Amino acid sequence: MKSNTINIEELKNKSKLYRKTIIEMIYKAKVGHPGGSLSCIDILNVLYNTRIDRSEENKDRLILSKGHVTPALFSVFMDLGYIEKSEINTFRQINSRLQGHPDRNKIKEIDANTGLLGQGLSIGVGAALAKKLKNDNDHNVYVIIGDGEMHEGQIWEALMEGAHYKLNNLIVFLDYNKLSSKGNCNEVMNLEPIHDRIKSFNWHIEEINGNDIEEILQVLEKIDSITDKPKFIIANTIKGKGVSFMENNPKWHSGGLNDEQYKKAIEELN
Amino acid sequence: MNYKLVSTRDYIGKVLIEMQKKHKNLVVIDSDLASSVKSNEFAEVYPNNFFEMGIAEQSSMSSVCGFAMEGFIPIYVNFSIFVTGTVWTQLRQACYSNFNFKIIGSHPGMDNGPDGATHHALEDIALSRVIPNMTVFTPSDMNELKACVEEALKINGPVYIRTPRDTVPILHDENCSFHTGKAEILEDDGNDIAIIFEGSSSKEAYEGFLSLKELGYKNKLINIRSIKPIDSELINKLSSRVKGIVTVENHNVSGGLNGVISEEIVKSKNNIIVKCVGVNNTFTESGKTSDVKKKYGLSSEKVVEKALEIIKGL
Repeated sequence: MKSNTINIEELKNKSKLYRKTIIEMIYKAKVGHPGGSLSCIDILNVLYNTRIDRSEENKDRLILSKGHVTPALFSVFMDLGYIEKSEINTFRQINSRLQGHPDRNKIKEIDANTGLLGQGLSIGVGAALAKKLKNDNDHNVYVIIGDGEMHEGQIWEALMEGAHYKLNNLIVFLDYNKLSSKGNCNEVMNLEPIHDRIKSFNWHIEEINGNDIEEILQVLEKIDSITDKPKFIIANTIKGKGVSFMENNPKWHSGGLNDEQYKKAIEELN
Repeated sequence: MNYKLVSTRDYIGKVLIEMQKKHKNLVVIDSDLASSVKSNEFAEVYPNNFFEMGIAEQSSMSSVCGFAMEGFIPIYVNFSIFVTGTVWTQLRQACYSNFNFKIIGSHPGMDNGPDGATHHALEDIALSRVIPNMTVFTPSDMNELKACVEEALKINGPVYIRTPRDTVPILHDENCSFHTGKAEILEDDGNDIAIIFEGSSSKEAYEGFLSLKELGYKNKLINIRSIKPIDSELINKLSSRVKGIVTVENHNVSGGLNGVISEEIVKSKNNIIVKCVGVNNTFTESGKTSDVKKKYGLSSEKVVEKALEIIKGL
């Protein structure tokens, strides 16, 4: 865990900055996934700025299982200096490090390649077991999954395994924005009652507003004391959060912005 | 003919135990088949380094990425069909990450005869070799398996090791060596035909070679060992020496050994004829392993038949 301190106002300002970077990156590429990037950015912000310690050989890990939201990840990486700000123009372009989905061989701070949905939580189970085996008790494995992604059967395999091995160092954030590619995620395939389902798998479960910095901070602090179970946080979020015309609109699951939309989005985020 | 027949599968656990003594950071992943693939022997000696993931092959495959990320060398041991086919997109994404992991497939081709078509892995060479970053080895006997796993552990990346379940002849001694991208010329009587086999069809290839020898033909018998990378240099040399090649594989003849040798011959100096022995685009059925192999095209008689076709210009 990170030892530096950062106050809530600073974190809120970072979320604003990251949202603008996401919009700029997708505007320049003319393609990307703005809706899901904007819904999960507050979680990534808090994790990378208050929790994830990359300074030593043993590290906190973050598996971005919903790999299509690279604009969110890269906006944080630019702020942390893992990638150059100038690379913003290269997202999804040929010869770029900034791939459509995460590539650890291009950017070393990426822990695992993801993009084929449903696999990240299993990767997290492996990493959490490995940390136990080598007695690395000071670092956690964080996995960000999407709600549409939970339709994948492999997620439920990993949920079984995480509980079976009581992996208290495995922390899942479900970016529950309720919208997948086609529209209402639960109309596509119902996940509810999600809270009861996850609980019945014997995970510790919490539910928060995943776009509220303070709630994210509080829940992380709260679950630190849970030692006998893996932890699952239902983060209720808004797809497209922060840009009025994108919010709760499945059209913005993927796509580019025209000049007018870009201008309006940035104005709102300022 | 006089040689001892053994199941290489029976030595997987012993080889893993030996490797752990040298490497320390191995972990073995299982999907509830440890007793069938003999990784249970490893589990008894190194229980902390053995992880049961349940009959959840996809999650098992992806979990290796997490172990590799943390500096372990995970080895996922399972039936060939599960460890390549059931988990193909998980394997592909793990290879895209280029993590350092190994998979061992223990029941290749028709080696699990009685279980029938569902369990006959006739596509695993094709499925594995087509993935970038992947190395594919096909050892035959237990001595070669040991040398092969040792070699695989020198490679910083994914390796698929295809291990015979059916009994095969012991063709190597305990101190045999194994090199990535190098085939092994087991017999070299002359330049009529080159019989090239992958590890789990060594018996049929060897017996076919000996039958042809009795008929007076002077052939070469080649153990390909490393499917990917393939020994291009040797194949290229063969193309200007022998009359033709017969490939022998416990696999579909599309995409497997015949596929890779044909790809090499097309690139080589001389487009000599390549004939195949193996399963030809069909699902199989249950039966005694030897009966299934014979019925579906893998036999020493077929090796002789194909070699004679080339020699007679058919």
